[in-house]
Amino acid sequence: MRKLLVISITMMGLTLTLLVQSQAQAQDRVRSIPVGGSPLVPERLVNGPVPRLPDGKPDLTGPWVGGGSNADIERDGGLKPGELPLLPSAKALRDSRKEQDEPYVACLPMSVPRSNPYPWKFAMSYTSKGLTHIYLLHELGDAGAHRVVYMDGRKHPDDLFPTWWGHSIGRWEGDTLVIDTVGYNDKFWFDSRGTPHTEKLHTIERWTRPNYGTLVNAFTLDDPGAFSRPVQLKFTAKLLRPDFDDLMEDICTENNQAGIAGGYKLNSESK
Amino acid sequence: MRTTLGVLVAGLGLFCLAVPVVAHHGFDTEYDAKKKVSLTGVVTKVEWLNPHMRVYIDVKGADGKVTNWNLEMTGPNHVRRQGWKPKDLVAGEEVSFEAYAGKVDETRGSLARIAKVAEPDKPLFGQGGPGADTIPSK
Repeated sequence: MRKLLVISITMMGLTLTLLVQSQAQAQDRVRSIPVGGSPLVPERLVNGPVPRLPDGKPDLTGPWVGGGSNADIERDGGLKPGELPLLPSAKALRDSRKEQDEPYVACLPMSVPRSNPYPWKFAMSYTSKGLTHIYLLHELGDAGAHRVVYMDGRKHPDDLFPTWWGHSIGRWEGDTLVIDTVGYNDKFWFDSRGTPHTEKLHTIERWTRPNYGTLVNAFTLDDPGAFSRPVQLKFTAKLLRPDFDDLMEDICTENNQAGIAGGYKLNSESK
Repeated sequence: MRTTLGVLVAGLGLFCLAVPVVAHHGFDTEYDAKKKVSLTGVVTKVEWLNPHMRVYIDVKGADGKVTNWNLEMTGPNHVRRQGWKPKDLVAGEEVSFEAYAGKVDETRGSLARIAKVAEPDKPLFGQGGPGADTIPSK
């Protein structure tokens, strides 16, 4: 009896400490206009079978929620603080950036591997020649919302000029969709923390759907301009509840008043 | 024994509350988490626009001066997916609300709670600010 009481009081103490810490963090690190309105598939359906396309490949269509970085690529990708092998120059750049200067807040593209809490989908485009293209559509992908993944066997051109989404070529390895991308510009940030990259960025996404409700993105980030070595990250997406609306219209620039209450201009000193 | 169990349950409850909230973007750069207001006023406009919804509310001060508050919410698609529709709140309705004031422009706030004066226990649309990351279903 006394032992149980001691355990209970200890537990209350620990949880109170955690609560106070949590609230203190909320005071210091509140970073968001809260979201959470994308209803996910119920847990009882998550482990169901993976639907297949007529050619036998797993249907990766979605819509999905998550599956990429957002607030902090290091944490979101499963690493511990400090494990991301940033070069000193890249770390200094990250530390100098202010969240309000992120191009994404000014409605520019998130790019890879970022995924905000809005739904997105792989639009798998079958033609008379089979699956020739996959388009990634983000509900709030901002300007230039579609990303093209060429599935027709072509190679990366050798005369690419840098773009927001780069040049993506995809292939199947069994049930895994592998997307290889180069040709990125250096303008987008990996996260609202400001983690940078350079035009040397090369990404490899390995997408698998282990069950009905889950999509996994095993992500290789290789950028010798900003990182001391290639790094492996892992992100997980969940299926949007099937009885809810598909992607809706979301024109980011129609009434973007971000920044005014805080007295700053959007994207004014972005680096 | 009953007391002990009560303490245990209270501890568990606190533990649930302590689970950190993961959020999106753009609160602490604009709004002051320590400056929460609780006011009553009349809705002048509800904008179901991207990237975030906004509700405009006229609030009469003690001196009789009316101030129009511009309150930011989450994205309209998130709110729609919870079953809310434009007819659920329209201009002219009297509401009470809680909001976090803007750091520089105080009457541009982040809406934390809003309910019609006639139905104070039925919050509408969504809740924002520290500790909130969900939108109630209609």
